[in-house]
Amino acid sequence: MENFSEVVGIFFSLDNFLAIAVGVVIGVVVGSIPGLTATMAVALALPFTFSMQPVAAILLLVGIYKGGMYGGSITAILIRTPGSPASACTLLDGYPMAQQGHAKKALKAALYSSVIADFISNIALIFFAAYLAKIALNFGAPEFFWLICFSLTIIISLASGSMIKGLMAALLGILLSMVGLDEVFGSQRLTFGNYNLMDSISFIPLLIGLFAIPEIIEFYRKKAIPHIKAKASGAGLAFSELKRCMKSIVRGSLIGVIIGAIPGTGATAAAFISYSDARRRSPNKANFGKGEVEGVAAAEAGNNGVAGATLIPLLSLGIPGDVITAIILGAFMVHGLTPGPLMFQENLSLIYALFLGIMCSSVILLVVGNVAIKYFSLIADIPKSILFPIVLMFCVYGAYAVNNATFDVGLMLAFGVLGYIFNRTAIPAAPFLIGFILGPMFEDNLRRSLLIGSNDLSIFVRGPITWVFIVLTVGSIALALYRFISSRRDVRHATTTPPEL
Amino acid sequence: MTPSGSKRRVKVKDTNDLITGIVLLGFAIVLVFYLVPNYINEPPILQNPMMSPRWLPAIIGWLILLFSILLILQAFILEGKTEEDERAIEKGSTRRFVLMVLSLVIYVALFEAMGAVFCGILATLVLFIAHPVRTWWVYSLAFLFPIIVALLFVEVMNVPLPIMPFGF
Repeated sequence: MENFSEVVGIFFSLDNFLAIAVGVVIGVVVGSIPGLTATMAVALALPFTFSMQPVAAILLLVGIYKGGMYGGSITAILIRTPGSPASACTLLDGYPMAQQGHAKKALKAALYSSVIADFISNIALIFFAAYLAKIALNFGAPEFFWLICFSLTIIISLASGSMIKGLMAALLGILLSMVGLDEVFGSQRLTFGNYNLMDSISFIPLLIGLFAIPEIIEFYRKKAIPHIKAKASGAGLAFSELKRCMKSIVRGSLIGVIIGAIPGTGATAAAFISYSDARRRSPNKANFGKGEVEGVAAAEAGNNGVAGATLIPLLSLGIPGDVITAIILGAFMVHGLTPGPLMFQENLSLIYALFLGIMCSSVILLVVGNVAIKYFSLIADIPKSILFPIVLMFCVYGAYAVNNATFDVGLMLAFGVLGYIFNRTAIPAAPFLIGFILGPMFEDNLRRSLLIGSNDLSIFVRGPITWVFIVLTVGSIALALYRFISSRRDVRHATTTPPEL
Repeated sequence: MTPSGSKRRVKVKDTNDLITGIVLLGFAIVLVFYLVPNYINEPPILQNPMMSPRWLPAIIGWLILLFSILLILQAFILEGKTEEDERAIEKGSTRRFVLMVLSLVIYVALFEAMGAVFCGILATLVLFIAHPVRTWWVYSLAFLFPIIVALLFVEVMNVPLPIMPFGF
């Protein structure tokens, strides 16, 4: 009862509601603009949260995340350009519907399925996060060491493209996280005598540089293309149509929850799995890909079902499941909080206040989404030539604001160039960021294990939990190898098969 | 002796992977043999070499070295994926790109001296010219947005920025 009043006291403030509403609006706006991603928006919003209370700050970022997940579907449906990779599946049926004059119906189906999936995902978060945290209380340093190994390998194994490049990106991320003063001996590591690097590389300039600047560089590097206009028209979604899609929405939501709870999998996979599951089971399977409303609903349910579930490993284990949750982890750290099992003991009221806010975000998404259908398609009409100079301004101001140092602006631009090189050479940026975040935890748990075990390496295989994570780590590497070999087999098959005439 | 005509020529199947591998190999060599020994100080007494501040960076260096060799080998053995070909972009004019770089230089070189508003206006104007934006009223946004965004940071979010030139 005491906790309940504390939770209510923390949560029920105007700042929190405003943070969620502003977050969802920003997310939907940014998500609906092709080329701007929810990741970019969350990264750019992070410096704004410095002066906010921790709950409001996290809710703002979660709001952007959730809004961005839905916002991506607007342009996918209207102009066949997904605002985020996860919305790519929505356009399979959404765009044909728009072409047939049913854009509004497709947008409404996407919204309602997104909200339902988001709600289911939030409930899963509330039920499972505390349970998982309770289990994780039994973890010591060796168990956390292997858990981090597993998280790194599964993110690499499920990242698209070359496994070798994914591994190297993660290693580079871990290496950069070591720049600064060594935590045990206090000796300098790769600082080159620069005092700006003594306190390690700032997270925010790295983040903004890696995810916002490459888009800007690419835009000015390539030839300008004409801007496509968007328009939402036609009738809305009838209740009977929503009812018909309900089974696919619930199944898609559960698929999203399961996939979201596994670090590294992401919304794109969930959307496609949910879509193919709905197509397999639907009586209208022949209409899928030609403008089937159930296809839009299933894709969006899978996509949004991930949103709450990705917070399960973050809150209960302190392990980010994807890039956005990695940024949210950074926000926790900026506010002096460390997500993980201990947070459920020390800051339980804060966690439950966050849960309340996350539940509220689903309702706000419904309201904002309805307005978005009417007006936000106009935002997609703003050309990138006007948007990107403003985005760059936010990047520079945000990076400078971290330490009031131009060094951080330079650092952000350097990471921007690195991110651009990563894009051009197909090196995935996600393992790099996760490596950078998990690097200090990895080294800390390694050293603590050695200290606990008095330098005896058998500490790393001390019990069943460590063995579970060892098996999972080896399994994820094997999965990565399998995926790599089978994708290469497909390439070879494609290059040896003569094209059909 | 083998006749020159029968010699097997090794063909690069993925140039991108080859270049990436060579660059990372060079980086790994510099890291392992120069940066780690010279730029990471080791305490005089260590009970376990694994506790050394040099240990993990060195391991990472060796792993990058190993994987970059694998990447180079992969470039000779495996074809580039078709999706990697999609990365190819139709390059725009050099003027456009140079002006974008100029705007970045403006931010880095002048931000503290000239202030956030002045730099924002100048860099945004340069980027509008780079594209080029042909609608005249859009240029007014280049003056409006830096002021709004700077005030948003300073006044609303209490995040300090150098607003005016020379610290005024």
